[in-house]
Order: sequence, then C-alpha cells, then structure tokens
Amino acid sequence: MKFTELYRIPIAYLLVYIVLILGTGIWIFLLSQGLDTEENIGATLQKVGFAPIEKSVYNFVEVAAPHMFAIGTLIFVVAHFMLFSTRFSQKFSLKISVSLFIVALINICAYLLIIFGFVVSGWIKLLSLALFVLLFLLLLGMVAFSL
Amino acid sequence: MKFLISKDLGYNKLLSFLMIAVVMSILMYLVLDAVLHGYVIGFDLHSIDSTLYGNTETFEEPVLIDSLLMQVHIDLFMTIFSLLTLASIYIRLYKKEKANRWLLHVLFGTGIAAPTFLLAAYFFSKPFMYAWLVTFLLWHLLAVMLSVIILKKLYTK
Repeated sequence: MKFTELYRIPIAYLLVYIVLILGTGIWIFLLSQGLDTEENIGATLQKVGFAPIEKSVYNFVEVAAPHMFAIGTLIFVVAHFMLFSTRFSQKFSLKISVSLFIVALINICAYLLIIFGFVVSGWIKLLSLALFVLLFLLLLGMVAFSL
Repeated sequence: MKFLISKDLGYNKLLSFLMIAVVMSILMYLVLDAVLHGYVIGFDLHSIDSTLYGNTETFEEPVLIDSLLMQVHIDLFMTIFSLLTLASIYIRLYKKEKANRWLLHVLFGTGIAAPTFLLAAYFFSKPFMYAWLVTFLLWHLLAVMLSVIILKKLYTK
C-alpha cells in the first residue's frame, strides 16, 4: 500500500464529521425556533415558515460571524479534495462548489431580510437551508465516491 | 483519487518550522480544551453527573440541551480540524510505519465517539457518561502522543 492511501482515512472521517456538524447545526436552529416546546419537527418548520422567531441584529451577528468563517473553511477543505478526483470533472466540481458558497451566504444572511422587515415569512431561510444541506451532501458524496 | 506528490519537503527548513509551530499550537489547544471541558462539564464523575442530570441536593438544574448541542457542534468542528492537521503531518513523516492505519482509525473514531456519547448520556443513560469520559480522554491522549511523536521526528531530522 502506498503511503498516500493513508490519506483516505482522515478524508473519510472528515465526511462523517461534517454530516454530524450539519445535523447538530440544524437541530440547534430548530431548537432556537421553539422545537422543544412544539409537538414535532413539522410544526416547528411550519412555524419558521409562517412566523419565524424575532431576532435582533446582535443575535444575527453572533451567529453569522463564526459561521462565515467555519462554513467557508469547511467548503474549501472538502471541495479542494475534488482536485484529486479521477471520477468527476473539475468543471462540475467548480459549479457545485460555487453554488454551495453562494447558497451558504444566502442561508447565513437570510435572517437579515426578516430582521429588517423585507420579508415576513421564513420560507427563504428554510429553502436556503435545505438547498445548502443538499448541495453539501452532494459534495460529500462526490468526495466519498472519489475515494 | 490521485494524490499529487511533489518533491520531498521533509527537509525543507521553512516547512519543518511551520509544522513544528502548528503542532505545538495544536498541542496547547488539546491541553486547554481538556481543561475547558473540565470547567464546562466537570473535572470528576460527580460534577459531570450534576452538569448532565442536575442535583436536587444543591438545587442544580441539568444543562440545557441548546448549550450541550452547541458544545457538541463546536467540538466536532474543532476536533476534525485539529485531527486532520495532525494526521496529515503524521502520515507525511511516518509513511513507512505499519501501525499508522489503526492509530488513525482509533484517533478519529474516539474523536467522533466522544461528542456522540455525551449526547447519548444526556438523553439515555449514565453508562454513556463513562463512555464519553473514556473516549474524550483517549482521543486527547492519542492526539497529544501523536503531536509529541511528530515534534520528536521534526527536531531530530
């Protein structure tokens, strides 16, 4: 076995860690929207969609600041492994990575629209969150398939 | 995957210095992280128990799930980045060792098991609390050991 084969182990674990980070992140978001007092996840999602919890600019910055750094770094680290992929073209990987960065930015900033009263509903936040998770899972799947 | 291997950078002075610096930073992070968890969750079994389940005698409330989840969320992020950095340098320096594969599996495995057991302890039962303590200490000790091995190799080159 060539020693470069060993690099597959940390990369494989990285993918699992990220799935857990995404899972706990969604859980924390739903808790902040009242999941613990609601009957089920469906009711909480509907609540986010129609009447999201009010937040201040301070609340937004407190959440956005670490996430800008952490999500940006995570996408970069995962996506750069696609440079070594022999199964997917770099053009396709580039499209996915750029889309992921854009959706991540929209997802982080979506609450600003609610805070400043541009939108009343939280559907844009839910939609961007769902899209972000799906795209990230796709990228993780691509890396896993390339291993 | 086809990894790109450039010329051997192991003897590059700048790279060696950078690797020493980053490993020393991670080493200090590991020690401080253990101390921080001691303050947040508890240094001994009794205080860990009180943090997770509360204490009726001292009127302590159990930790809020939001706070615990936040801790786990941050732990997962910090663990993967510190371990990824250490593992990459270790693989580069100890490419001929045969025990590498198992060491990496145990390191990453315990690193991921610790926060999972902490959540399981909160939701299910006390035995998971002991499992958390063992896996948490084990991954920290292994990571410290790995850091020391890397530093030894870099200094003796």
